[in-house]
Amino acid sequence: MSPLQLCVAFSSVLFAVGLTGALARSNSILVLLGIELMLNAANLNFIAFWRYSPAPSPATGVIFVIFAIAVAAAETAVGLALVISIYRHQRNIRLQEATRLKG
Amino acid sequence: MNPDYAGLFLALKPETALVVGAVAVLGLDLSVFRRHAAAERLRLALWVASLAVLTAGVNVWLGPRGPAFGGVLMLDHLAVATRLGVLVLTLLTLGVARGAAVPHQPAEYVAVVLFAATGLMLMAAAQQLLLVFLSLELASLSLYVLAGFDRARPESAEAALKYFLFGGMASAFLLFGFSLIYGVTGSIELPRIAAQVSLQGADPLLMVALVMVLVAFGFKVAAAPFHLWAPDVYQGAPTPSAALIASASKLAGFTLFTRLLWPGFHAAVGNVAAPTFGPGWLPTVAVVSAASLLLGNLAALAQSSLRRLLAYSAIAHAGALLLGVMAAGRSGPAPLFYYASTYGLAAVGAFGVISAMERGGRCEYITDLAGLHRRSPLLAGCLAVFILSLAGIPPLAGFFGKFTVFAAALRLGGVAGPAGWLAILAIALSTVALYYYLIVLKQALIAAPAADARPIRVPRTTALTLVAAAGLIVWFGLDPAQLLGLF
Repeated sequence: MSPLQLCVAFSSVLFAVGLTGALARSNSILVLLGIELMLNAANLNFIAFWRYSPAPSPATGVIFVIFAIAVAAAETAVGLALVISIYRHQRNIRLQEATRLKG
Repeated sequence: MNPDYAGLFLALKPETALVVGAVAVLGLDLSVFRRHAAAERLRLALWVASLAVLTAGVNVWLGPRGPAFGGVLMLDHLAVATRLGVLVLTLLTLGVARGAAVPHQPAEYVAVVLFAATGLMLMAAAQQLLLVFLSLELASLSLYVLAGFDRARPESAEAALKYFLFGGMASAFLLFGFSLIYGVTGSIELPRIAAQVSLQGADPLLMVALVMVLVAFGFKVAAAPFHLWAPDVYQGAPTPSAALIASASKLAGFTLFTRLLWPGFHAAVGNVAAPTFGPGWLPTVAVVSAASLLLGNLAALAQSSLRRLLAYSAIAHAGALLLGVMAAGRSGPAPLFYYASTYGLAAVGAFGVISAMERGGRCEYITDLAGLHRRSPLLAGCLAVFILSLAGIPPLAGFFGKFTVFAAALRLGGVAGPAGWLAILAIALSTVALYYYLIVLKQALIAAPAADARPIRVPRTTALTLVAAAGLIVWFGLDPAQLLGLF
């Protein structure tokens, strides 16, 4: 396999691991962790496609990744704030117990 | 590419006005208004924010047209109309917030509303994947915060957390899809992507990328099966936040993804005019649309909570709007924009009525509406306009929205193909929708008030907002060419 194929295969596995974690975990911080893994898989893709692109191109992929990392940091900040706000009410962060809204 | 910063500044003047307005709201609240009571601080913050929104609106109207900054932004008719629509809906949301319960930190709340509006306006004009991602995240992160703003109620925190977890997963799908698109086409600019796609045809990796983008799209507009967050958020979020999520966010989301899918990927479109699908994204959109129509309308029948009913009916409307997305390639975006913007007006109005009722008691279940015509004739009249428009009764705007979208879908290939079948399904399910909308109206207009019900005092600003929204719905319904002629 060429390096590009290896990179894309690796990032796909990383994405699948992250998705499984995000869907299967009940602890909301671990779900957040799964989402971060998914975002990082996409970042890895951008770097790989940029590095192994046939024609020498401007650093589009790298710039995209820098922005994506900044956005992921902001997203984590908002996410942790929301986790704290739910902790204040139910004294734990288990998603199974967040069942006030249903119907 | 030689960057044209002067052109960028001119094109982004409205967004600049909103951000300056948000900073001004925060700064003034911290310095001049610090000693006032919370209700007074909310009033002043809303005035400053409304001024910023109006300034932005004037700048959109007078601003430049055409591509800006080397094609990163595209200010065509659709973009300008959507930006104006977002600003009008934001202004109405601010009016709704005036009558709602005062949030804990009023200035922060108003500032985050303005940041959300900034993101939504950028979404309307974005024509490059990086800007698409950034504007979508700016809008989404602001909306998560708005949904969880009421710290005293556990429901609000729970709604925000659910919204955030679903949204975070959707944005991860979107980013992964974008990375594959970048890998396949070697570019992140939509015109170049379009040229490359028409050269390569339907590449399998590109199809994977498109499905991932559609997942994010389905989440953003609350289409089934990515709708699970919507009922909880509509129920748990503070009312003005729910109004913004239901209206402006939907309008901008539909504009963004229509621009992404049609000009960007029209070469990988597939076929819904005939039963033989062909590879492309259009058949996937058709399946999502059918699922949303069925699930939204049938689940709404079972609801006793007014907000959850509005949420499920919003899912059904998203299904009908997806029909407009499918037809946008042939009939242009005008029917889609008309439907989405008039739907937004009715949704803001309905949440405005809910928030005004919450001042004088609770408005949780449909039965809480009982006797509204006695308690506040103004609210009952406005609610009747909004609900009848959502149900699609002529001469209100909701009817012409449905009419133009269904007509455009039928023009795709008559009743011989899936698009026509979907239009017929949507028309049939409109009668189901009429049933649950009339249940709401029966409570509001016919049922007798509860024994302990008192008259509701509606604040002047909220009354003005509701009357303005109802007036716009009637006006656009009587004269649809006002909106349809924009394109």
